[in-house]
Amino acid sequence: MRSPKAAITVRRSREEVQRLWGDPAYRPEYLADADATITFVDAPGDRGTEIHVELQGGTPLAKAKDDLRRFKQHVETGLIVRSDGTPEGERAERKIKQRPAQPMPEPELQQVGA
Amino acid sequence: MRANVWSGRNTVHVENVPDPKILNDRDAIVRITSTAICGSDLHLYDGYVPTMKRGDILGHEFMGEVVEVGRGVGNLAVGDRVVVPFPIACGDCWACQHELYSVCENSNPNAGMAEKIFGHATAGIFGYSHLTGGYAGGQAEYARVPFADVGPIKIEDDLTDEQVLFLSDIFPTGFMGAEFCEIRGGEVIAVFGAGPVGQFAIASAVMLGAEQVIAIDHYPYRLEMARNRAGATATIDASADPDVVEQLKEMTGGRGPDAVIDAAGMEATHGHGLLNAVERVWQGTRMETDRGPALRDAIMACRPAGIVSVIGVYGGFMDKFPTGAFMNKGLTLKSGQCHAQRYLRRLYDHIRNGDIDPSFVVTHRLPLDEAPNGYETFKHKQDECMKVVLNP
Repeated sequence: MRSPKAAITVRRSREEVQRLWGDPAYRPEYLADADATITFVDAPGDRGTEIHVELQGGTPLAKAKDDLRRFKQHVETGLIVRSDGTPEGERAERKIKQRPAQPMPEPELQQVGA
Repeated sequence: MRANVWSGRNTVHVENVPDPKILNDRDAIVRITSTAICGSDLHLYDGYVPTMKRGDILGHEFMGEVVEVGRGVGNLAVGDRVVVPFPIACGDCWACQHELYSVCENSNPNAGMAEKIFGHATAGIFGYSHLTGGYAGGQAEYARVPFADVGPIKIEDDLTDEQVLFLSDIFPTGFMGAEFCEIRGGEVIAVFGAGPVGQFAIASAVMLGAEQVIAIDHYPYRLEMARNRAGATATIDASADPDVVEQLKEMTGGRGPDAVIDAAGMEATHGHGLLNAVERVWQGTRMETDRGPALRDAIMACRPAGIVSVIGVYGGFMDKFPTGAFMNKGLTLKSGQCHAQRYLRRLYDHIRNGDIDPSFVVTHRLPLDEAPNGYETFKHKQDECMKVVLNP
């Protein structure tokens, strides 16, 4: 069986993407400690950099994908995208336990760190 | 605040919910002055779109006054009057940089969910299921607008809400459908569906220089509006004669229209014959989620080497796609949720110049608390309903 893989393209140069990947402010929380091989490749055209992740040892793929998407959002937009249904930003656990798409009451706001 | 929430198939309620707060630096909060019910809200209402949750605030066509801005929003100030386009777009990703806002790569925090159904995630959309992000919608007193530095357009003229509200969705959506047709002058364009989006597709095709525009629907009052207000040169009442393909060929000297716009999507109900009888059964069992008579007829009717432009909404899978006609006639198929941000300035200028007054589609005005009645009236096309505007 081939090992689980994930990839994302970030619209920044390879040098910058590699630098930010190691920056504590951007560092993916899950992949940083996971048993994974990460490679950075120049994307064709004006598309920036491809990040390829190959996971070893039963690391859940969904969590790796969350990390990649959050990293891309953070680098490209300066923030982690939050909705009412997914207030912490993209997370595998939230997919099956969505909040209703309506604003959060005050205690819940604090819980999700908004 | 008061908000219109989905509470199960064919049920909405206006309830008290918490007020929205700024969650990110690029957010703004808008106090809503006008909001509309869209044909695509009916797909959510009907339960044809997966990933709806009880308590979801509906609505993606809205405008109002900015009451709060995050630190990262430099272009808007408290007190500004804005129309908010329905796709949420970051402005920074490759798609946004190429003005493909409805497929923004960053604005959907449920990307993993959407990838399973569409292969890729598309942009976040206000009040439009969790597949497009799980964002609260605009059928409410207030809304949080993410990436407010990219989406909203400031309204600085003395125009009424109803004249500019439809910049949020249906006017740019209709316009994009017409733009897909590559009109250079002299064309015949057919438009399936004379609902609000169809009306704007017709009006836009006329503005872009089409010589003839044929509107197709099964409600005579909608065809009347298409002819008298949107500028259609001919109409086909599919309720009187459902063989639309033959009628279109006849009306175009056997050629078929140069381009066909599907502004009906899975709402289309005009189909006839065995295929459509089979389809009704499949729909009943939900083995097929997208009814397809408009798209099939569009492909069959379009002239060889013509363009089929799909702006009506589909959400799942369709059976019996006429692959043979599509391939052998050499058709081009273009589609998408509207990249609304791309068209805002241009269409706002058309309204300011008096080229078009989009308020002609409004037939019903209700207070927000009467949203449930608005949905029923619109769904069942009661009282010649075309467009319902709600005022919070």
